[in-house]
Amino acid sequence: MKTETFRMSNVTRIAIILLIGSVAITSCKKEEVPEEENEVEVITDVSLIFTNVADANDRVVAKAKDPDGEGVEELEILDEIELETGKTYTLTFEIFNNLETPGENIGEEILDEDDEHQVFFSFTNDAFTDPSGNGNIDNASDAINYDDTDDNGNPVGLSTTWTTGTNHTHDGEFRVLLKHQPGVKTPSSGSNDGETDFDITFELHIH
Amino acid sequence: MGLKGIIAIGLCLLAHTVFGQDTCNYSISGKVLDVDTDTPLPFVEVRVKDTQKATITNIDGEFSITGLCSPNNTILCSCVGYCDTTCRAYHEHGKTHNVYLKTKVTELNSVVISAGKNRERGTVSIAQLTLDNKDLDLATTPTLASSLSQIQGVSFTSVGSNVQLPVIHGLYGNRILILNNGMKHGFQNWGSDHAPEIDISSANKITLVKGAAGVRFGPEALGGAIIVENNPLYLNEPFFLNLGAGYQTNGRGFNSSLSLGQGFEKFSYYLGGSWVKIGDRNTPDYVLTNSGKREQSFNTGLRYNWKKIDTKIIYSYVRQNLAVLRSSIASSGSSLVQAINSDKPNFIRPFSYDINQPNQQLEHHFGKAEISYWYTDEARLTLKVAEQINNRQEYDVRRNADLPIIDLSLFTNDVQLEWKHPKWIGLDGLIGVQWFTQNNYNNPGTGTTPFIPNYKTARYSVFITESLTQKKNTYELGVRLDNEYNSVIGRETNQDIFRDEFSFINLTGSVGYVREVSDAVTYRTNIGSSWRTPFMAELYSFGQHGFKSLYGLLRYHTDHEGNLRTNKVVELASSEISPEKGYKWLNEWEYTKEKTTVSITAYLNYIQNFIFSRPVAIIGTIRGPMPVFIFDQADALFAGSDITWRHNLHKRVEGKLGASLLWSKNIKKDESLINQPPFSIDYKLTYRQHTKGIIKGLTFALKPSYTFRQYLAPRAIHPQDIINGTEEIGVDSEIFDFKDAPEGYFLLNASGGFSIGSFQFNLDIQNALNTRYRDYLNEMRYFADELGFNIAFSINYKLNNKLK
Repeated sequence: MKTETFRMSNVTRIAIILLIGSVAITSCKKEEVPEEENEVEVITDVSLIFTNVADANDRVVAKAKDPDGEGVEELEILDEIELETGKTYTLTFEIFNNLETPGENIGEEILDEDDEHQVFFSFTNDAFTDPSGNGNIDNASDAINYDDTDDNGNPVGLSTTWTTGTNHTHDGEFRVLLKHQPGVKTPSSGSNDGETDFDITFELHIH
Repeated sequence: MGLKGIIAIGLCLLAHTVFGQDTCNYSISGKVLDVDTDTPLPFVEVRVKDTQKATITNIDGEFSITGLCSPNNTILCSCVGYCDTTCRAYHEHGKTHNVYLKTKVTELNSVVISAGKNRERGTVSIAQLTLDNKDLDLATTPTLASSLSQIQGVSFTSVGSNVQLPVIHGLYGNRILILNNGMKHGFQNWGSDHAPEIDISSANKITLVKGAAGVRFGPEALGGAIIVENNPLYLNEPFFLNLGAGYQTNGRGFNSSLSLGQGFEKFSYYLGGSWVKIGDRNTPDYVLTNSGKREQSFNTGLRYNWKKIDTKIIYSYVRQNLAVLRSSIASSGSSLVQAINSDKPNFIRPFSYDINQPNQQLEHHFGKAEISYWYTDEARLTLKVAEQINNRQEYDVRRNADLPIIDLSLFTNDVQLEWKHPKWIGLDGLIGVQWFTQNNYNNPGTGTTPFIPNYKTARYSVFITESLTQKKNTYELGVRLDNEYNSVIGRETNQDIFRDEFSFINLTGSVGYVREVSDAVTYRTNIGSSWRTPFMAELYSFGQHGFKSLYGLLRYHTDHEGNLRTNKVVELASSEISPEKGYKWLNEWEYTKEKTTVSITAYLNYIQNFIFSRPVAIIGTIRGPMPVFIFDQADALFAGSDITWRHNLHKRVEGKLGASLLWSKNIKKDESLINQPPFSIDYKLTYRQHTKGIIKGLTFALKPSYTFRQYLAPRAIHPQDIINGTEEIGVDSEIFDFKDAPEGYFLLNASGGFSIGSFQFNLDIQNALNTRYRDYLNEMRYFADELGFNIAFSINYKLNNKLK
């Protein structure tokens, strides 16, 4: 009988140890606030900046804004692209996540990984004299005047050149498409390859 | 005996030794069954070796021998027409004491034992099926879900070839409770892209409970439960070793596994591990780029039995690196259109073993200690304590691809105390209390707002389940009370903090009845309720996930004009969200006579506040048009039937016909539910031959199957039509899908096996006709075909191996 009691107390002891152990393990992890993340995925603001090659102060800016980033609010196209005839422009971008304060410059990250990115363009046929045609979204080998290349010698498109005709007014559309193509970008890759970082269509007026 | 030569000695699996106070007061009782058909075998002579004790089984195959002087005995069972084997009796508390005899004609000679089909208390009246290691041995590198899909009524939903979740009667994910070694598997159980991290090669037995087993196992078991058991750690088991290696052509995959163990008089142990490496898989026409898999696992268990006290300690570890099909990432509405329109995926590269983004890296630790105290012969107290740590990192194709986009650690702690009380006015029962906590923690450094918040869940539960057997009738009753508390802290995309706290108290119940209508016919019926708190991902998902934007129940609301808004996090208390409540009525009619078995299951399952996701809009985003999905609640009704018919065509040839049928509807709005399993029918023809020369246990099986198109699928609206404005959809639109359900398809699988000495050889051929098809339940059906032709073969070296 005596030994029987001793056995019981052993069981109880083990049980208590197990219980305390499990309590200790769970209690040491309190629910905590998830740490603040530097959000690098979201793009809220894209600006297209057309700079007159002959006059750096002559700039045309067209903005698109996704006011709530990941939320359901519709994308807002804030401006129309108003270019003048008979001029040559360099197109560059400002790409930001403005949900954070201060805004996160996503354009810098894209530049860092330019061998994985390419901007594609499409516009109503023959809106420009150079490049002619309707852009390279439908066919990657169509003409676009890329000013920049990545380390592999492939075009990037963060800077491009556009020439409007002297007596050629035009009203149409201008679409810019930034593709993320990790491991996919080659001299022959096109707008169907990879993931879309942004895809925005503006009204285009050349007068 | 006079019947020399045809008298056989059976082999036994489990026999029960009841402890006595005096030296010669031990007893053994049990039941003798045919290993193939489970038919009770009457008039079998049961003899205890080295004693004068012997008896004959009664009409139900039962026997009992008393007055034994040792707790460990060797039993010899002999019966006309059954085979010659000798084996030992193990005493194993609380198990069904079944002795299985193999018929002489189908004897494999290598010892094959079917694990005892004992039912968990509280689920006696629920239709259920067990896959034992015999079934599990054949398939080479299966997942838990694909193994279970051999069972009628079970299919699997998947995201590619690596992530597969079992679907029971149309329900999956966290509506199915997965019990690993008796404890709820604590993992990120949300969406269809998170599969349980369970190494199937270490499983000894998997039981599928088809009914609402929530009373016994806890909330969430609305669809059913899956019970995975490792080595049972028998005592008095000779040293066993199993060394296996396999290769599969599709994916050029290798696998190997090792398990060993031994049972002594008071102590037993096992050790095991496995290793899997698979490269990119193939469809009939192209490589599925980035579909490889790595898996390593280790498991061990110890048992010490000291008179009335039985202790077990189990630890297991699984590590996986699972590739997700590269082409499944469509980051905008236009790429979705493009992916849906093309017959081939966008990315096809030459075969590679490499695993790149998107992929999932997972790690699961499971530790459990269990003490049972048998204070009388039939009553015990059991304390189980389990700790689980689940680490999940998901990588996506993105600018910061080296950082995980999801990085979570989930800590699960489960303490259960159960009392199997002694028989009381004829009642057999189990009373238990459970304390369950879960702590989810987002590891910093993902460079993106956490997709699900940090949270803590604590649940206290009490349950009681009782059964009463009166002659041919068994009645079963169970009640459970859960009190659950949740606290949540997350971040919005602008990094503002949101918090919420909520708790639920819920009562669930289950009533069941089993009747042995005749010697051949058993009828089971069970009505059970269960409930489930909305999961965090269903409440708090926000923004882009894969090709869509997804919003949880608390992340959207409609403004006074009926427009969808996502500018605030709603508190649960001020929302109309209620937990899911399910009521499942399950009937099973089983006929077993000689070599014929017919089983028909019919069920009705009503789920109030059923949570599901559905498309509501396509919105303009900076990435172009994006499909928007929201989580919503409906009242869902499921009705269906599973049919199995097993019969002998010839003494060596067995046929098995199976069919599953399911009808489902959102009765709140009279509309079809999305992603429900289609009607399927299969036949399995098995040929078995006993010893021929040195080749033993030759089996060959052919399995043709046909899966129909899902005729109940919701209407399809092509995303292009929504983008163009041809189709107008809104928050109240009927459920729809982006692509029509795939056409029906015919598949032919085959398998074979034999052994020579201690070596066992298995061959498995999948999709023998190299059929091109898409599976409605695979989310990848939008993008790619299913796997083509595959031959898998394996060699196993087995030393004394009865169990794995």
